[in-house]
Parts: sequence; C-alpha cells; structure tokens
Amino acid sequence: MKKDTQGVILLLVGVTVLRLAWGDQYLFYVAEGMRPFLIGSGAVLLGLGGYALWEAYQGSRQSDPALGRDPEEHASEHDHGHDHGRGPRIAYLLLVPVLAVFIVAPSALGSFSAARQGTTSTAPPLDVDLPPLPPGQAELTLRDYVVRAVWDDATTLQGRRVTMTGFVTPDPSGGWWLTRMALACCAADAQASRVKVIDTATDLPADTWVTVTGSWVQGGGLRDPAAIPLLHAAAVRTVPVPRNPYE
Amino acid sequence: MSRARRYRPGPVEILAVSAVGLLVLHRIFADAVSTPALKAAATIFVAIVMQALPFLVLGVLLSAVIAAYVPPSFWQRALPSRPALAVPVAGCAGAVVPGCECASVPVSGSLMSRGVAPAAALAFLLSSPAINPVVIVSTFVAFPNNPEMAVARFGTSLFVAMAMGWLWLRFGRGEWIRIPGQRHADGVSRHHVFLASATHDFLHAGGFLIIGAMAAAVLNVFVPREWLGSVAGMPVVSVVALAGLAVLLSICSEADAFVAASLSEFSLTALLAFMVVGPMVDMKLIALQTGTFGRRFATRFAPATFIVAVLVSLAVGAVFLS
Repeated sequence: MKKDTQGVILLLVGVTVLRLAWGDQYLFYVAEGMRPFLIGSGAVLLGLGGYALWEAYQGSRQSDPALGRDPEEHASEHDHGHDHGRGPRIAYLLLVPVLAVFIVAPSALGSFSAARQGTTSTAPPLDVDLPPLPPGQAELTLRDYVVRAVWDDATTLQGRRVTMTGFVTPDPSGGWWLTRMALACCAADAQASRVKVIDTATDLPADTWVTVTGSWVQGGGLRDPAAIPLLHAAAVRTVPVPRNPYE
Repeated sequence: MSRARRYRPGPVEILAVSAVGLLVLHRIFADAVSTPALKAAATIFVAIVMQALPFLVLGVLLSAVIAAYVPPSFWQRALPSRPALAVPVAGCAGAVVPGCECASVPVSGSLMSRGVAPAAALAFLLSSPAINPVVIVSTFVAFPNNPEMAVARFGTSLFVAMAMGWLWLRFGRGEWIRIPGQRHADGVSRHHVFLASATHDFLHAGGFLIIGAMAAAVLNVFVPREWLGSVAGMPVVSVVALAGLAVLLSICSEADAFVAASLSEFSLTALLAFMVVGPMVDMKLIALQTGTFGRRFATRFAPATFIVAVLVSLAVGAVFLS
C-alpha cells in the first residue's frame, strides 16, 4: 500500500469520526462524554493522513528508512524485496466502519435488543434512601422508575403522577413495554429498563417513541432483578426520537 | 520527475470511485441490512469501533513517542534490570494508565522494541486495562453493596498480570513472539520516526481492531441468553461460562462492571471471573495481539491467560467472596 493510499484511508476514518462527533449522531453509539475524545482523535487522524499524502507528493520512491522490517507483512504479501514505506494491507478493513457509517447509518439500539434481555434492574445501595420526587407531575427516567418501584417498594411513587419517555417493545405475552436503554461506555454494554404499560388501548408498532403519563400500580414484583414494574397509563403520546436515545 | 511504472490508482481516483460508489451502493446496501438482528449488530459494531478508536489513537501516539523520543537507557534506569523484578514493577505501572486495552497493545509493543523485557511489557499489557483508576471506581459504583468486588478485582487482576509475566519469563520462547522492529535509524529525524510509527501502528492495529469488533458485534447479538440462566447455579461451570462470555462480548473494562452487576443470578466469584478475564482476553485483544505480536504468540498467550485468570478467580472467590 503506497503512502498516498495510507493517507486516504486515514483521512476517510478521520472524516467519519468527525462526522459522527460534529452533530449528535455519535450519541447512537457511545456515551456523551466521548465527544471531545472523538473530535481529538479525528483531528489527529486527519493530521496523520494529511502528512502521509504530503509525503507521497514530495515524491520519494526510495525506501523509507524509518520503518523496520515487518516479517509477517512480508510473509502475507509474498514479497521478496526489501519493502519499506508500504503500509499493511489489513488497513483496508478500516474502510468497513466508514462504509457502515455513511451507507448503513445504523440507528440506536431498539426493541430487538430490549426484548432479548433477561434482567431489567439492579439493586441500589442499601443504606441510601431514594430522594422524594419533586412536587407535581414528575418527569423520570425509566431506570429511576424501575429502581424506585422494584427496590424501594415504590414508597416514593405511591399516588404520584409521573411522565416518562421511551420506545415501544411488544410484550410476547400481550401488550407492550415502555423501554429505554442506558449505556455506560458504548452500545455494546447497553441495558434496557422496561415498564409494563397497562390500561391503555393503544396499539403501537415496535420502536415507536412515546411519552407516557401515568401512575404506579401494584403487581410488577418487588426486589427481583427480573421484575418489570407496572404503570397505569393516563395518556400516551407519540414523540420524535430524542436527541440522545439512551438514558 | 518522470516515472516509468505501470498505472496504479492514486488518491484522487480512490476518492472519486469511493464517492460514486457510496451514492450508488447506498440504496442497495441500506436495504440489505434490514433484519433487526443485523441492524443491532451494525450498531454495536460501529459503537465498538468508535469507542475504541480514540484509545487506539492515544495508544499509537504514546507508542510512537516511546519509539521516537524516549531512549532505551530511560527504561534501563526506570525498571529493575532483572526481568523477574521488572515484571511486578511493570504490572503495578498499569494502575496509572487509564484506557481501553486498545491503547495498551501498541504501547507494550513499543516498550519491547526499546529493550524492555517482554515479560515486563506483557505484565503491563495485561494490567493497564484491568486495574486503572477508572475501572476500579466504576466497579465500586456498579456494586454499591459489595465493595469487596472492586478490591478483589484489583488484586486478582494484578496477580494474574504478574503471573503471566513470570510464566512468560520461565516458559516463553523467543520464536513465539514477533517483537516490533526497532524504529530508529540514523540519519532520520525523530519527528519523522514519530509520525511514521504512529501512522503505521494505527493502520496495522486498526485493521485488526475491525476484525475484533466485527466478531464481538456478531457474538453480542447472536449469543442466546437463555442458556446462561441454566448454568448460573453450577459452581465451577458458571465461572467458566461467564469467563467465556467476557471473551465473546469484548466489553470495555470501564463498563464491564455494570454488565456484570446485571447478571445477578450468578455468584460473585463468577462475576469476578467475568471482570478479570474481560480486560485481558477478548475478541479485540486477540485480534490486536495477533496483529502486533504474531499469530504464534496470540494462540499461546490468550488461552494461557484465560486459564490462569479463571483459576486465580476461582481461588480468590472461594476464599474471599463466599
């Protein structure tokens, strides 16, 4: 692989990273805190790519004495000459994520991943009391609602009206769950919080984003990682996909 | 300058073909990735790559700095001359370097090329993704009712890293590992060495990272979760099963504590094994190790690390976590 090809690959990868980090599309894949690192590494890749192209146009066909021999690369390319300055052919694979981002543009994880999951929540610290909800109609994350309902005996939810935003995941045993995924580092570790929505006649397709207003009712199970709490819905409203689909 | 050579496409041609190809293929391929499973796999693939890339860039920059600007004499002074003593020092140094395993592989290779004993560099390679501050803090946060998990993880991972270094010292053979070549040559500016190393290392390691990411994404989506529930109760099988899952899922060490905490039906020992094995042996790492040190190395080192990590986790779990 010549220097200019190396440069193009580096530029393409850098452009891809920057393209994702410039707007909000990176939020489909990684946590919000990654943005400065994505921008920084994208800039570095553009710099390295630009330098490689500049070197190529400087026009030296001589061996690059700065790089040592790479025996594995020789073996795979069946080269017999001393061949410095050639990049590794495996680098062509770096075009795969470029193509994936620009052609496929995968969306955030949705009902398929949420339905596959076993547990839905983990216990919070035992000795910490959950703070009460703010007065009036409270807007909650799904994870917060699940933790309060399952692990705190719903003491902070009794008789309160809450609002939550998530997407629809069909329940195999009938009805649907209000779901939202949360990720720590990237989509590979994403976990779903699920709330069973009852007393609503709505029949929405999977992955529809909705905001549900309702109140907690008994019956979802307590103190069990696999428990799915219930929500008695007063209103269900479809909404556009939020800027950050994950909580 | 005239050149008598056969035609090879230059960057302009590549860009032009790529642009046209993107426009034409967009229609075709966007519809091909249509099943929910493939869509999820594509999302996870891009996510793993985007999560890893900044750390890989950091790692190749660090390794290029080591290759270009830090003389071997520095390492001779910084580390004990006896490799058996350099191993624990290098293992503990891993506590200082935060980041994904994607950074530790190029840095470790660069250290070796500058004369650091491979055993010590390998101990660092294993310890730095496993015991750095971000990982330990995230383990505390993920197991708020079991602080002993974070302590156990730190101790077990450090011990396994050092054990692997010593094992390499005792049993490792030079022909099994391809130490990245000396990058410094007379007459070439150090800045050029720096840039050339960084470029080459990123292209090389990046290609292998893609292989690891593709494998991890496919496995993440297509591994059925049902069989996990059936092994959760068996003492030793559950530990090995979670260790294997850690290899397949290839989750970053900063986040695997949260995934472990969600596997609540498993014993603490099994969760410990999941967290100890993951940063040391997974699809990304196997791919990166193969690329940097050669297939002969990876086929020996990765399974050996897996076995040692599982055994030590079982021992630590039996004594401290039950």
